Amino acid sequence: MALNPYESPRGRMRARAETTRRQFLMIMGGLAAAGASLVGSVKVLGFMFPQASSNAPALFKTSFTFDQLTGGVANGKAVTPVNVLSETDKRVTVVLDDAGIYAVYLVCTHLGCTPNYVTDVTTGSGVSPTVAKGRGARAPNQQLPNGWACPCHGSRYFIDSTNFYGPAPRPMDWVNIEVTPDGFFAVDRAALVATRGPGNNQAPQWRLLISTQKSNGKTLGV
Amino acid sequence: MSATPGEANPVRAFVAQLWGSVFRHGLPTNDKVAARTALTNFFLHIHPVRVKKSAVRVSYTLCLGGLSFFLFILLTITGLFLMFYYIPSVDSAYQNVKDLQFVAVFGDIIRNMHRWAAHAMVITVWLHMARVFYQGAYKPPREFNWVIGTFLLLITLLLSFSGYLLPWDQLAIWAITVGTNMAKYAPIVGPYTRYLLLGGDQVAQGALIRFYVLHVIALPLIGFLLMVVHFWRVRKDGFTGGL
Repeated sequence: MALNPYESPRGRMRARAETTRRQFLMIMGGLAAAGASLVGSVKVLGFMFPQASSNAPALFKTSFTFDQLTGGVANGKAVTPVNVLSETDKRVTVVLDDAGIYAVYLVCTHLGCTPNYVTDVTTGSGVSPTVAKGRGARAPNQQLPNGWACPCHGSRYFIDSTNFYGPAPRPMDWVNIEVTPDGFFAVDRAALVATRGPGNNQAPQWRLLISTQKSNGKTLGV
Repeated sequence: MSATPGEANPVRAFVAQLWGSVFRHGLPTNDKVAARTALTNFFLHIHPVRVKKSAVRVSYTLCLGGLSFFLFILLTITGLFLMFYYIPSVDSAYQNVKDLQFVAVFGDIIRNMHRWAAHAMVITVWLHMARVFYQGAYKPPREFNWVIGTFLLLITLLLSFSGYLLPWDQLAIWAITVGTNMAKYAPIVGPYTRYLLLGGDQVAQGALIRFYVLHVIALPLIGFLLMVVHFWRVRKDGFTGGL
């Protein structure tokens, strides 16, 4: 009988079937190395995700004042009944209507382009201008078929940012706006005050009130 | 008494030595020397020593893979010239491209060569893939090379996409906004992919430098390595018929 128990036909078969200590240590070591590499790779990938980004701050001050938007205040009401002023570079528009002021974050909900302000938003869409005129809190003689048209793929929104045409899946979001002590607006693009899902045509009631310069707190979907 | 050639004409001997130091053989006079010449030359050894006459027949296949490679070389050279003027900064990128067009001599030609060659390369790579598919040239033993080829197609498209942002005009910014937002729709990894590409949430300086690095170094390098493997396999597996 051979001294080495594996040196027999049966022993060789067992040797193939069983794992030697060396093989076991190799497998365990290999698994440990692979696991460490995997975890290490994930951490190394973090190099491409910096701790601080160079994004523009979400909060910014508008270049136009409260008075420029409203035309001043008389009897607790804006002198200019309806007005739209935009900060196109910062992708925010500030809208004044009969109920007050709100800010829309101009990021098309389709693929993120900046929609343009247009005064004939329904042209060619098959939607009656009357529908567009009826959107937003405006007196009948102040109503316009205005809204937002995205230059990239043709999505269109009513003035209250509700989508009605094109590939946009849902309305654009409204963001928080406040009046600064020096009479400008502070817009916080990270603070949503109205966000609506697909098919939600409900008009948000949130407004910055003219009389108090404070919000009415009627948020929607946030 | 006749002298040896070296003694008779030292200049000729020097030229012969110079030639011999670069090329190990004279101009091929027969098949054997031709084979040795190909084998001992770095640039020629990538090609098969012997190629069937039918294999180099440029017929309906138009050597589309070769055309793609030619365009890649053209893009590398013209791209190198563009890099002399282009600075990947949001403050200067657009003006640099305008300088290339209107200030640098031949700059407009170089830029347009780069642009049109890029469009053409996407087309030739697609057609090359279609030709290989319709000819059944992806079948064994060439299935691995087909996989390499699909990665090369991906690299070509990514090069096209990343180069699109660099002029930093309105078309570029919004095209990349749209493109990266499409990437965001991918489940789970989508938002991370977008952030990885843009280095932020907006198409801004972070996006420009990342696309620049991808466009001028990372993607061409990966593409070049894949091409080396691709051509090597073509040489080893042989041609199916036409080039």
